[in-house]
Amino acid sequence: MSLLELHQISKSYGEGPTAVRALAEIDLSVDEGHLVAIMGPSGSGKSTLLTIAGSLEEPTSGEVAIDGASLRAMSRNDKARLRRRTIGYVFQDFNLLPGLTAAENVALPLELDGVSARKAHQAGLAALEQLGLADRAGRYPDQLSGGERQRVAIARSVVGERKVLLADEPSGALDSTNGEAVMRMILDACKRGVAAVVVTHDAHLASWADRVIFLRDGRAVDHVAPDLSDSSLATPRA
Amino acid sequence: MTTAVLAPLADARPADGGAPARRAVVRWAWRLFRREWRQQFLILALIAVAVAATIVGSAVATNDPQPANFGFGTARDAVSFTTHDAHTASVIASLEHRFGRVELIEYETQSIPGSINTYQLRSQDPHGPFGGPMLSLVSGHFPSGADQVAVTSGVASAFHLRVGATWRVGGVERQVAGIVENPQSLLDEFALVTPGQVKNPTGVTALFDAPRVALSSIGNHAQTPASVAQSNPFNPETISLAALVLGMLLIALVSVGGFTVLAQRRLRSIGMLESTGATDRHVRLVISANGTVVGVVGAILGFVLGLVVWLAYRPSLEQSSHHVIGVLSLSWAVVVAAMVLAVVAAFIAASRPARAITKVPIVQALSGRPAAPRQIHRSALPGIVLLVLAFLLLGVSGGTNHGNGSGGAPELLFGLVLLVPGLILLAPFFLSLTARLGRGAPIATRLALRDLARYRARSGSALAAISVGVLVAVIVMLAAASRYGNVLDYAGPNLSSNQLAVHANTPPPAGTIERGPNGNQVVQQSTTTPETPTELATNAASIARALGAQLIALETPNAGLTGTHLGRQWNGAIYVATPQLLRAFGIKPSEIDPNADILSSRPGLSGVSGLGFDYASGGKYGPPQSNQSNQRCTAAAGCLAHPVIQEVGALPLGTSAPNTVITEHAMREFHITASTTNWLVQGSQPFTAAQISGAELAASTSQLSVEAKNDAPSSTAVTTWATIFGIVIALGVLGMSVGLVRSETASDLRTLAATGASSNTRRTLTAVTAGALGFLGALLGVVGGYIAMIGWLRSNSLNGGIAALGNIPIADLLLILIGMPAFAAVVGWLFAGREPAAMAHQAIE
Amino acid sequence: MSFLELRRVSKSYGAGAAEVHAIQDVELSVECGALVAVMGPSGSGKSTLLTIAGSLEEPTSGEVVIDGESLQTMTRNDKSRLRRRTIGYVFQDFNLLAGLTAVENVALPLELDGHSAKKAHAAGMGALEELGLADRATHYPDQLSGGERQRISIARAVVGERRLLLADEPSGALDSTNGEAVMRMILGACKQGVAAVVVTHDAQLASWADRVVFLRDGRVVDQTVPPPSPEALLEESSRSGPRQ
Repeated sequence: MSLLELHQISKSYGEGPTAVRALAEIDLSVDEGHLVAIMGPSGSGKSTLLTIAGSLEEPTSGEVAIDGASLRAMSRNDKARLRRRTIGYVFQDFNLLPGLTAAENVALPLELDGVSARKAHQAGLAALEQLGLADRAGRYPDQLSGGERQRVAIARSVVGERKVLLADEPSGALDSTNGEAVMRMILDACKRGVAAVVVTHDAHLASWADRVIFLRDGRAVDHVAPDLSDSSLATPRA
Repeated sequence: MTTAVLAPLADARPADGGAPARRAVVRWAWRLFRREWRQQFLILALIAVAVAATIVGSAVATNDPQPANFGFGTARDAVSFTTHDAHTASVIASLEHRFGRVELIEYETQSIPGSINTYQLRSQDPHGPFGGPMLSLVSGHFPSGADQVAVTSGVASAFHLRVGATWRVGGVERQVAGIVENPQSLLDEFALVTPGQVKNPTGVTALFDAPRVALSSIGNHAQTPASVAQSNPFNPETISLAALVLGMLLIALVSVGGFTVLAQRRLRSIGMLESTGATDRHVRLVISANGTVVGVVGAILGFVLGLVVWLAYRPSLEQSSHHVIGVLSLSWAVVVAAMVLAVVAAFIAASRPARAITKVPIVQALSGRPAAPRQIHRSALPGIVLLVLAFLLLGVSGGTNHGNGSGGAPELLFGLVLLVPGLILLAPFFLSLTARLGRGAPIATRLALRDLARYRARSGSALAAISVGVLVAVIVMLAAASRYGNVLDYAGPNLSSNQLAVHANTPPPAGTIERGPNGNQVVQQSTTTPETPTELATNAASIARALGAQLIALETPNAGLTGTHLGRQWNGAIYVATPQLLRAFGIKPSEIDPNADILSSRPGLSGVSGLGFDYASGGKYGPPQSNQSNQRCTAAAGCLAHPVIQEVGALPLGTSAPNTVITEHAMREFHITASTTNWLVQGSQPFTAAQISGAELAASTSQLSVEAKNDAPSSTAVTTWATIFGIVIALGVLGMSVGLVRSETASDLRTLAATGASSNTRRTLTAVTAGALGFLGALLGVVGGYIAMIGWLRSNSLNGGIAALGNIPIADLLLILIGMPAFAAVVGWLFAGREPAAMAHQAIE
Repeated sequence: MSFLELRRVSKSYGAGAAEVHAIQDVELSVECGALVAVMGPSGSGKSTLLTIAGSLEEPTSGEVVIDGESLQTMTRNDKSRLRRRTIGYVFQDFNLLAGLTAVENVALPLELDGHSAKKAHAAGMGALEELGLADRATHYPDQLSGGERQRISIARAVVGERRLLLADEPSGALDSTNGEAVMRMILGACKQGVAAVVVTHDAQLASWADRVVFLRDGRVVDQTVPPPSPEALLEESSRSGPRQ
């Protein structure tokens, strides 16, 4: 069942001489339990594709459907609810609220959705523990290193029962061990039925995906299904 | 994994998160406030100051004039009589019959020897049903019998009495039982005796309550406090209300800018919040909650500040208004309204940017890139239209009552209310004009001016606020200048502090009506024989000698000046320019024009036409008769139509000093006689209070009275205070606005730092921003003030018409137009310049 | 001869338990005419490295030497002058002053340095003409495309006789064509002797450099000379952990 479907998505900014075409007629379909990686040079539109899929932006033309429901028909409140419950988003620059601690940041979507502060906090702590950040739970983002901030952002995206996970360079700031831990986490989520899309420039991590899509100047130029039979890729590093 | 912690939640969760969501969002807003409270401090301070100013202003306005129930006590009605005869007694009896209790106050005017002041011998029951508010005990006790009297402190010092002394008053030897005062008028000097002790009253007041009866059925001497107040549209309530509205307008103008910038600064965080699933309502909640908090805190701070200032100022207000003012005698309705309005204004000011921010696409918000300011080419037309409307309205209100413009308060209010938005709408137009004018300027200036025009919304509201403040100041300034500038109806202080006027105290004939603190009173006939002129002169000379001061004899001619100018008539005594007088003021005979008939220090008198020199009327000092202005001034009538007037600046300016004199040439030509009944005593130093009472004592032994400097404000004082007010408001708004305008351009500062701009460049940017904004605001305010006054005066001949504006307070206008912006620029220069590193780091964050 | 030298430069913010080390013990040397790329993920300290090299911030410890002069001994005014005459800085966005036209923006450092508006204008026009942007000279930034804005920013960064160009993600907001045009411009400047440091997260653009420095969590984890093909560079960047 296709949890995320992008149909003929195009996106342009501005008009006249300053118009920029970020995406041109992209199609993408991600079934539940599948992991899709998107690669491409800077300016290829990867991030824009992800923000459109995540309901953070509206396409100039084309349709986005999440779990069968078309985003076009939704009100702003409906989309907000979608972001609280269904979609988990990891930004490239983390976007943690500076006024909240790590644990509060992770618990935020749950609280916004009406879960009591205590229960949400528990869930948040549990997510942070998984990523080895339990002792930093009470710190504010400006007291965390880049790598720690990234892990908090990831924790925030998997807390609750999300169905779609969208991640923009989720392991960019991490060393290989933590980077792989993150990918493993995403894969585990996929095993539970989550549809995940990951933007990455790391070919090794991309090889973990079911499918890799290459973008260039707003167009999909290649699809690859990495060969999992390559043993060097399948075994985790020591 | 993670999700195992949470059991699958049924979809019983509220549609938009309900209470936990709101709590989470408010918690975040509170954290933000704690981090950013310094940026909000300026808005907070301005709100507090505006609330405090409104509170203090209305308290002063309400308390300065006489209390509403002045002369009535707690009674609703009063009837006054001029004598206590059979007719009076029968009216009082019928009042008692109809309305129950009637309290009687009887008084007899007496003169204080050696002074031009009078006091009353008054009988009043201290425990009467209505008169309570008019009588209070300072020390000792109230008179308890016919042989006792209580006096006010003024009477006590005039007659050298203290508690326990014996004093012969009202034909009876009485013992002074205590010191009393009239809290409603501390100028009220009286001697209190028990009821029935006033044998020959010159007035009787009956106080009673007639709740539902029309005044006309009582009689034609009846009055109520309301009927007295109604004739004056500018009662304290109206003034307070106007001040409140103006104050809140300023608050709102200033807050909108502040909150918009605050919202822009949080743009990224709001984007993050929205991307995590917060709804628009949550976002608006945060920003409105912030606004409300700032409004509430600002209102409370403003209340405290206002209270402190009021408590500090109240004693001097009591002194200057001459009645007791209660410590908590604030206009509480205005206080509450001001605080509520502050909260409402802050909430509304914060809600506008709140709504705008939720419309920004999330991704754009996340990039922290605020939308480019909309380049609306605002035409000046709507602003001009509003100004014209305001002008017309003011003219209507000024022109009511057949050009005697004393009413039309609604039109006046509406006119002013339209004037302000007119100025506000013109502000952006002037901003872009300024930017265009600055085309050839060096880089920092160019950039500052262009930024002002670019961020028109921000600087526009600041500009409007500044112009409103200046507008109020300029209106006060111009009104004062026009009033004080009328050289015929000369207003101002009577003397300077080193001068005394000595008057021959010819007892007025019996039955003359004089004005006293409690209304008109009839003066009794005195039984002394008048002194001769020589005796008077000798006594005056000894007074001057005792003070070590110069005595200048003032000869009063049997002639006078008549005429009308700008709706007002000649007012003031004229004297003769004797050689002694001229010498006393250092005027050399060679400086006098041999053809001059009149010398005057009143500025601009020589340019007045319509002034006639009335040499045949045997002109007496006193208010001109109403038929004089209709008489033609012809030689046949004994009047010179265009006397030659020379302005001599060395003559004194006081209204009781010889500011206008007739030359000996005119005296000879028209055969005018003169007599000396007044003297001017002039010392080298200001006279102390002790010296003045010493002079009064010396005068009391003769038929002279001494007049010292009163505390009427001079035109300079009024215009100076108005200027200060305008400048303070302008600088306050500037302080906040410049900070806001420059903060919008934080990325520009980063670029400038990276490109190698020195701190001088940054300082120039801020200085030019402050100076340009200040100057434009002052200009708009002055223009608006003139529009208002011209509109008001053009059909208002009673106040002199437009020509009354001929007296331009140049120095004060220059101070506002040039001094204030220059000062703002200097301050901007000094306080600008943050470390480029800090800016770089913050911008990247 | 190394034009820019960073010797054991560290930068921390905050104190005690809340202390964050943005960069630690970074060593970097850039010769005249060399193009050095600095790569690393968000939060790795790349931007901080650049602001310290550009004299916009002071390091907590270590030394920055530009053209033989240590920044530590310089006053604030000296550093401003350095930024006017020697260093050209390009941010990812918001480079141009919105209130000035394109040519005024390019002429900005010259005007700030005291040159008359006319002379500065002439120099600015010259620079724009050289880069084929003369027809945009009187446009305001909001009338220009992103690529044009960045190219004008680079023009400003090299106007006059600048010898050091520091660019923080100059192609970050641009598509590949414009991004390459920007890199080409920077490379052209290097050929004229300018030392350039470009921060980027894009391997493709980094491959244009003479040398690539990798940052992770504030430390330099690798410095390599990139092989000619971008794909090989992808492999390089995914190798993790500091070399033992």
